[in-house]
Amino acid sequence: MSAQGQGDPGEDLTSRAESETSCNDMKRAAAKKLIECYFYQLTDGCGNRDCGNQYCASSGKLTNLTADEAAAQAISLFSKDARLCDGVHPTKVARTTMEPGPASLAKSLPNKNVNPTCSVEGKSVPYLTETKLLDIISKCKSEGSYCLLIRTLGEVFSSAQALSQSFLKSEKDDSPLTVLLDRAPASLLCPSGDLSKEAVRSLQGEDKEEDSSDPTPTVPQIDDTNVDLPAVRRTFAALWSLPGEAFESALVHALVTLADNIELNLRVFSGNSEDSTDSLLNVFLIVFEIPVLGSSEYLEMALHMLCKAASCLPISDQAKLACIWARHCKTRLPSLLQSLQQLITVKVIGGTFTRDYCVQDTDTITATTKVMKIVYFASILAGELDSPELALDEDNESNNTEKSNQRASTIAQDPLAVELAISSVDARKPLIPFIDFYNEPLSDIVEMDKDFAYYKSEQPKKFSFMNYAFILTPATKTLGLYYDNRIRMYSERRVSFLQAVVGQPTTPYLRLKVRRDHLIEDALIELEVVAMENPYDLKKQLVVEFQGEQGVDEGGVSKEFFQLVVQEIFNPDFAMFTTQEDTQTTWFNPTSFESDAQFTLIGVVLGLAIYNNVILDVRFPMVVYRKLLGRKGSFPDLEDWSPTLYRTLLEMLEYTGDDMQDMFMQTFRVGYKDVFGSYLFHELKENGDEIYVTQENKKEFVDLYADFLLNKSVERQFKAFRRGFQMVTDESPLALLFRPEEIEQLVCGSKIFDFAELEASTEYEGGYTSESDTVRNFWQVAHSLTPEYQRRLLQFTTGSDRVPVGGLSRLKMVIARHGPDSDRLPIAHTCFNVLLLPDYSTIDKLQDRLLKAINYSKGFGIL
Amino acid sequence: MAATRRLQKELGDLRASAMKNFTNIQVDESNILTWQGLLLPDNPPYNKGAFRIEINFPAEYPFKPPRINFKTKIYHPNVDEKGQVCLPIINAENWKPATKTAQVIQALIALVNDPEPEHPLRADVAEEFQRDRRRFLKNAEEYTKKYAEKRRETTSAD
Repeated sequence: MSAQGQGDPGEDLTSRAESETSCNDMKRAAAKKLIECYFYQLTDGCGNRDCGNQYCASSGKLTNLTADEAAAQAISLFSKDARLCDGVHPTKVARTTMEPGPASLAKSLPNKNVNPTCSVEGKSVPYLTETKLLDIISKCKSEGSYCLLIRTLGEVFSSAQALSQSFLKSEKDDSPLTVLLDRAPASLLCPSGDLSKEAVRSLQGEDKEEDSSDPTPTVPQIDDTNVDLPAVRRTFAALWSLPGEAFESALVHALVTLADNIELNLRVFSGNSEDSTDSLLNVFLIVFEIPVLGSSEYLEMALHMLCKAASCLPISDQAKLACIWARHCKTRLPSLLQSLQQLITVKVIGGTFTRDYCVQDTDTITATTKVMKIVYFASILAGELDSPELALDEDNESNNTEKSNQRASTIAQDPLAVELAISSVDARKPLIPFIDFYNEPLSDIVEMDKDFAYYKSEQPKKFSFMNYAFILTPATKTLGLYYDNRIRMYSERRVSFLQAVVGQPTTPYLRLKVRRDHLIEDALIELEVVAMENPYDLKKQLVVEFQGEQGVDEGGVSKEFFQLVVQEIFNPDFAMFTTQEDTQTTWFNPTSFESDAQFTLIGVVLGLAIYNNVILDVRFPMVVYRKLLGRKGSFPDLEDWSPTLYRTLLEMLEYTGDDMQDMFMQTFRVGYKDVFGSYLFHELKENGDEIYVTQENKKEFVDLYADFLLNKSVERQFKAFRRGFQMVTDESPLALLFRPEEIEQLVCGSKIFDFAELEASTEYEGGYTSESDTVRNFWQVAHSLTPEYQRRLLQFTTGSDRVPVGGLSRLKMVIARHGPDSDRLPIAHTCFNVLLLPDYSTIDKLQDRLLKAINYSKGFGIL
Repeated sequence: MAATRRLQKELGDLRASAMKNFTNIQVDESNILTWQGLLLPDNPPYNKGAFRIEINFPAEYPFKPPRINFKTKIYHPNVDEKGQVCLPIINAENWKPATKTAQVIQALIALVNDPEPEHPLRADVAEEFQRDRRRFLKNAEEYTKKYAEKRRETTSAD
C-alpha cells in the first residue's frame, strides 16, 4: 500500500507490466484495497466526529478492536458490501487522524505505527507523516500560531529514533490485515459479482503504483528504502511555502541536536547492530532532502554537523546511501552537491590556515568532503555506466609478474568504490558532470606537499584529499602527482647514493645521451637497455644530453627531447601509428611491423613525460587513456575515435525496418587496410561472411566491430605500449587521482592560448616591471602575433608549445632584462621559463629580434 | 578473393540496371574498393563528352562514405583542379550507411548538370558562372572538347 507512491521513475517497469496483464490480480488488488478501507475505517475512523456509521471508529459505536479482530471484521464487511464512509481511503486514512481514535490505533497496530506527538505517555516515539504534518500546518494556519508546528518539528527532528520512523512508506507486510488477506482464498477476493465495477475502477488508478512496488519488497535490494521520499519532498515543499521563518530556528536547533547525538552514537558504538544504522539511513535520507540546506542558517549551523554525523557511518551504509540516492534522489543530488560546495567554500574562505593547521585538519571541511564522495558515487551510479566486464583481462593474466601485485598493494582502492563495486573509470556520463565536483577555492588553498604527506602517513591515518581527488581541480592534482614523483625520484637517488658508498657505482639519474640526427635510434636503444636491465632506473629523474651541445638539463633539454621524439615517432611515415582521418588523432597501426619492444618504449616515453612533468604534442583519442587505466574500448568510445563511424553505426542501430539485409547488406565480416593500402578482412564471428546483420543481431555486430577496432586489432601493440607505460607509472597514484580525460590534459595540456592570462601571471626581473616600456612593447607584439607565432613564442620560451594543465598562468613566465639596448637576440631558459630580453629601444626592433629568435628556436647553445 | 557482399551486390545491381548516365564500369579484380566509370551528363556544356570518374570505397564501407574523383578534367564550379568533388551526400557528416552507390551517382550527375555556385570548390568558376554565363559556357565547352572522352553512342555496361 504505497500510500503516496507517485510512481518513482526508477520503478521496475517490467514487473509493472507483468502484474497489469493479469486481470485477476487486479481484481484481487482492488478487493484488497476495499478491505483495507474497511479495516482503517474500523480502526481509525473516517475523521468525522458526527459519523453515524456503526462500522466506523469515528462514530464511537465500536469497542476497541484488536488488529486481528478488525481485520476479520473488515473482510466480513467487505463481503457484505457494508457502508463505507465518504473520504475513507486506505492511503489517506491510514495515519491521518490526530484526535479520533489514537488509543485504539495504538493498541491495534504494531509498535512502529504508534501514534504520534500527542500521545504523552512518554514511552511511545513521536513520528511524522506527510498528512500529519499537513494537518498540523493547516491547523497552525487557522490558529495563527505556529507553536504546535514548532514543537512537533523540534521534537521529531531532534530525535534520530523519531525521524527514522517518520515518512515511512506504509507498511503492509507485517500488518495483520495483510497477513490475513494473503491467506484469504482467491474465491473470497474475486467474487466477480460482489464487487461493483465502479469500485474496481476507482481503485485501479492507485493500484498501478502499488503493484509496481509489490514485487520488490520480497527481494530487498540495496537501493531500496522504506522512506517515502516523494512524500518527504511534498511535505517539505509545503513547509517552506509557509510565510516567514516561523519554524526555522527550531528546526536548525533540532538538526544540530540530532546530528550531535548520531555522531556520538556512531563513534561510541561503532560496531553497532545493522538494525540501528539502517534506521539512521532513513534519518539521513530525510534530512538531506531539506531543500534549504544551502541557505546561511542551515549552512553555518546544521549542515556541517549533519555531514560530520554522516561521515561516521560505516562504509557499507555509505554505500547504501549512495545507492538509494542514485535511484530515488536524482533531482535532489545537484542541489545537495551545491550546498556542500557552498559549505566548503565558506569554510575555506572564512578559515585561516597555516602550515600547522591546514584544511585537512578542519573537521567541517573533511566531513563535508566525505559526504560529497557519497554524492559523487551516487552521481556515477545514477549516470551511464560501463559494465565492469570491460575491465582489461590483461590484469588478471599477468600474475606471473610481480608488477600487478605491487600495484594492488601500493595503490589502495577507494573503500566506498570497492563496496559499490564501481570505479569512476566506468562512468560514461555521470548524473552530475565531474567538473561540478571541483572546488576551486579549496584546490587553491590545499597544500599538496602537506596533503601528500598525510596521504602517506600510516599511523595515525590522516585525512588526505588525494583520496578525495574528485574535489580537486586537475591543476592541483598534478601537484600531488608531482610530489609523489619527486619523492620517489629522491628515494631512488638516495638508494643509488648508498649503493655508491657500498661500492656499486650507479647514477642517481636516468641519463640519456643522444645524437640529434639519430634521436629515435639512440633513445630507443638506451631506454631499451634500461628497461631490460633495470626497469627501476626509469623512475629516476631524467637527464638528457644532446651530443655536442652544452645545454645542462634542468628540465629544458628533456622537454625538447620529448618534443622531438614525439614528432618523429608519431609521424605516420614511421608507420607505428596512423592518423584517424576525421579527427586527426593518433592510433596504433594494426598492421605495423615494429616489434613489441618499440611500442613498449613509446609507453615508457609517455610515462616518463607524465613522470617528469612534460607536456607532449600527442593527440590520442580518449579511449587510449581509458585503456591505459585498465578499461577496454567499447562502442561509446567510437564517438571520439571516429565520429563518422560512430554516427553511421548508431544510425544502423536505430534503424527499425525489417529489411536490414537489403538496406545495409552487411555481414559479420569487416574490412581494413594494411600499411600498403591493401584490403584485408576480419571475421567478427566464425563464418562471419555468411551471417547478415539483422534486427536481432545488430547490437552484437556493433559491439563486436567496436571491440575489433579498439581492442582486438591493436591488442599486441597496445599491450606492449601499456606495459611500457606501467613500467614508469605502476606505483604512482595516477589512477587514483585522475580520470581518463584528466590524464589526457596531463599529457597534452589544454588547447587554447590565452595570452592575457599569460601576461597577468608573468613576473619581471632584472629591472623590468610591468610598466617598463620594453615590457609593454613586448606584450603589444605578443598579443598581435598569429596563433602560430604565439605557439612558437611559447615553444621558444618554455620548450613546449602546449598549454599546461590549469592554463597559461601556470607557466609562471619570467621576463628578465638582458642588458641595455643592443642587437642581441632574446634568449630563453626553457627550464625556468625565463625570457631574457634586452632593453630594445623601439618596438619595431623588439618585434624584429623576437621573431628572428623564435624562428630559430631549435637547439641549445649560447649565442 | 571475395570482396564484401555489399560492394559485390551493388556492383552487380549497377551493371544490371544499365544506367544511361553512367557506363563502362570497370573494377580491378584485385581491388574491389576502386571503381571507374564514364559519366554522361545530359545538360550543356557537358553533354558532348564523357567524364571518367573514380569511386574509392574506404575499408570501413558502408560505415564511412566513398570518395569520388574526376579523372577527366572538367570546368565546373563544384569540381576542383585535382578532380575532387564536393558532394553533400557523401560528406562525412551527412553520409548514411544505407545510401547506395547508385544514389550517389545520381546525385553526382544532378550536380554536374546543375552546378551549385553557392558552395563552390572553384570560386573563380563559380563567379563566372553567376556573372557571365556566356563566357562560362564557352570555357566549359572548350574544356569538354579538349579533355573529355568521346561518347560511344551505343554504350551499355561493359
